[in-house]
Amino acid sequence: MGDKSPMLGESSMSDTPSAGAGKSITPKWIRGPQDFVGGLALMAVALFALWASSDLQGMHGFSFGAGTAPRMFAVLLLGLGAVIALMGILQDGPHVARYAWRGPLFVSLAILCFAVAIRPLGLVVSGLASFLISALGTPETRWVETIIVGVCLTIGCALLFPYVLGLPMPLFPRFLVQ
Amino acid sequence: MADLFHNLALGFGVAVSPINLMLCLIGALVGTLVGVLPGIGTIATVAMLLPITFGLPPVGALIMLAGIYYGAQYGGSTTSILVNIPGEATSVVTTLDGFQMAKQGRAGPALAIAAIGSFFAGCVATVLIAVLGAPLTKLALAFGPAEYFSLMVLGLIFAVVLAKGSLLKAIAMIVFGLLLSMVGSDIETGASRMAFNVPELADGLGFATVAMGVFGFAEIIRNLDAGAEMDRQLVQQKITGLMPTKKDMIDSFPAICRGTVLGSILGILPGGGAVIASFAAYTFEKKIAKDPSRFGRGAIEGVAAPESANNAAAQTSFIPLLTLGIPPNAVMALMVGAMTIHGIVPGPQVMQKQPDLVWGMITSMWIGNLMLIIINLPLVGIWVRLLRVPYRLMFPSIVVFCAIGIYSINNAPVDVVLAGAFGLVGYWLIKHDFEPAPLLLGMVLGPLMEENLRRALLISRGDWSVFITRPLSAVLMAGAAGLLVLAVLPTLRKKRDEVFVESEG
Repeated sequence: MGDKSPMLGESSMSDTPSAGAGKSITPKWIRGPQDFVGGLALMAVALFALWASSDLQGMHGFSFGAGTAPRMFAVLLLGLGAVIALMGILQDGPHVARYAWRGPLFVSLAILCFAVAIRPLGLVVSGLASFLISALGTPETRWVETIIVGVCLTIGCALLFPYVLGLPMPLFPRFLVQ
Repeated sequence: MADLFHNLALGFGVAVSPINLMLCLIGALVGTLVGVLPGIGTIATVAMLLPITFGLPPVGALIMLAGIYYGAQYGGSTTSILVNIPGEATSVVTTLDGFQMAKQGRAGPALAIAAIGSFFAGCVATVLIAVLGAPLTKLALAFGPAEYFSLMVLGLIFAVVLAKGSLLKAIAMIVFGLLLSMVGSDIETGASRMAFNVPELADGLGFATVAMGVFGFAEIIRNLDAGAEMDRQLVQQKITGLMPTKKDMIDSFPAICRGTVLGSILGILPGGGAVIASFAAYTFEKKIAKDPSRFGRGAIEGVAAPESANNAAAQTSFIPLLTLGIPPNAVMALMVGAMTIHGIVPGPQVMQKQPDLVWGMITSMWIGNLMLIIINLPLVGIWVRLLRVPYRLMFPSIVVFCAIGIYSINNAPVDVVLAGAFGLVGYWLIKHDFEPAPLLLGMVLGPLMEENLRRALLISRGDWSVFITRPLSAVLMAGAAGLLVLAVLPTLRKKRDEVFVESEG
C-alpha cells in the first residue's frame, strides 16, 4: 500500500544530490551534513518536548504519571538524534539537499488562505482563492486554463460537499447571506 | 467449518444489498483512479475521503474505504505497464517487466495477467481472512496488556526492518511518531500534555491531519521541486489481443501462487504491507528463476508475482485490525479512524458483537475484486487518457480537495493549518532522507502502547519482567529481539539493501 513514499519512481532521484554537488555551508569536518543536520533537528524537537512536558507529573510509586511516557520517548529521541548527528560527523554522506522556495511557499499560503477564509468567506471564495494561490507554486501555470479549471472545480466542490454529502459548510461569504 | 460458511453467507447477505454493492463499486473505481494518478497516494486519499463516509451507514463506509485500498493496487499496475510510471509505490516493481512487455506489443497480456493475478490473490486473501478470523479472535481474548504491548513492539520492529534506508533513522522516526502521539489529554489523569492551551490540541493531533500533511501536501511540494511537467512516454501502439496465450498462463500461474502466499504472509505481519510484499515477490521470482536474465526484459512472472502479492497483502492486512484491533500500517490506522467515527472499537469484540459488519466487509472485498476484473480491462483506455491531465492543473485541485477534506473532519480551520505545517515537516523529512511511514505507525500505536504498558506495569506492581515471564509475551518479545539482531547482522543487511536497489533499478 502507499505507506512508503508514494511515487518512488519519478522524483526520488533529485532529492539526494550526490556529495559535492553545490557549495556546502557546513564545515569540512562534518562528513555527512544531511544526517548531521537531521540529527540535530530531532534533538531540538526532543529538547522542546522535554521542556513542554516538564510541568507534568512523573512516576509515583510504580504507576506512570502523565509525564512519564512523553519524557521517556523524548529522551529516546534525544539519544537517537545524537547518534544520527554523530554518524553525520563520522561517515561520508550526502549534502543537505537544496530546498526550493516557490512550491513550499505558495502551497503553504494556499492552505493558510483556505483555513482563514473558510469560516467568514465560505467554500466558494476560499476554494477558488486557494486553488489560484497554489497554482502560483510552479512557473509552468497557464492562467487561462487554470482559471477555467479552478472555477469548474469550485462549482463541483460546492455541489459535492454540502449537497451530495451533506457536510455542514458555509458556501458564500457571511455578509452576503445575512 | 460450518461456522465459516455460515459467516460467509451472512457476509454475502450484507454485501449484496444494492446500496452496499454501489458503495463497493464507487470505492473500487475511486481507488483505481487514485492508483492510476501518480502524485496522490492511498493514504492521502483515504484521509481525504474519510469525511465523505460520515453520512453513510458503518458497513457501507468501511466497504467503500476498503474498496479504495485494494482498487488502488489494481490502478497502479495499469500505469506501470502502459506508461512506465508507477501510480502507486506498490507497483514500482511492475514497471520493470510490465513496461518492457508493453514495448514488445504485449501490453494486453500484461494487463490481463496483472488483473487475473490480483483477482486470484484477492480470492485467496478473502478466504484466509475468513479462516483465520475466528481462531485469531480467540487468541486475542487471551491477550493481556503485556501481550498487547509486546505485539506492538514486534510490529514496530518489523516496520523498522522493512523500511527503506537506515535502520537508525527509521527507529528515530518511530520514536518521533510516538512522541507526537503524546500531545493531548492523558487518558488516565486527563492532564493536558504539550497542548499549550490550544483547545484544538486538547484531543491530540488528528491522525488524518498528520497523514494528509506528511503524505498529501509534502508529496505535492516535493513533486513541484522536480518541475510540474513530467515526461510521460505513452505506449502508442493500440492494445491488441487482451487475452494471454496458453503459454503465458502456464508460465505465470506458479508465480501468481507464490506471490499470493508471500503477500498474504507479509500483509498479516504488523509493519508489513503491500509495498514490501511486491518488492519481496519480485526478488523471490528472480532468485528462483532458471534464467534470471529474462527479468527486466519482459518476463511475465515479473508482472504476475508482485501484482498478486500487493493485492494479497492489501487484504490480509485487515486481519490484525479486525482480530486484535491493532492497525498494521498507516492505511489501516485510518480505517481505525473511520470505525471510531462510527462508534466501533476495532478488536476481538467487533467480530462477536457485529458479525454482519465484519463479514459484510470481508465478502465485499471479494465482490469488489470481481467487479474490478470485469470493469477494469475495458476501462483501460479511459485511465490512460486521464494520465494526460497535466500536473500543473492536478496539484492545485489536490490541495483544495485535501484542505476541504481536513476541514470537514472536525469543522476546524486549525486542523487545516496543522496539516499544512506537517506538510512542511514532511518535506523536510524527505529532504533529509527520513521515511515518513514509520512515523505514522508510531503515531498510531503510541496511545495504545502507552495504555497497555501502564496497565501491564500496574498489574505487575511495577515489575518490568512481566513482559518476559508471561509466555505469550515472551515469545513476541523474543521475536522482536531476534528480528532486530538479524537486521543488524551484516549479511542480512546487505540482502535487504539489495532488495531495494534492485527494485529501484
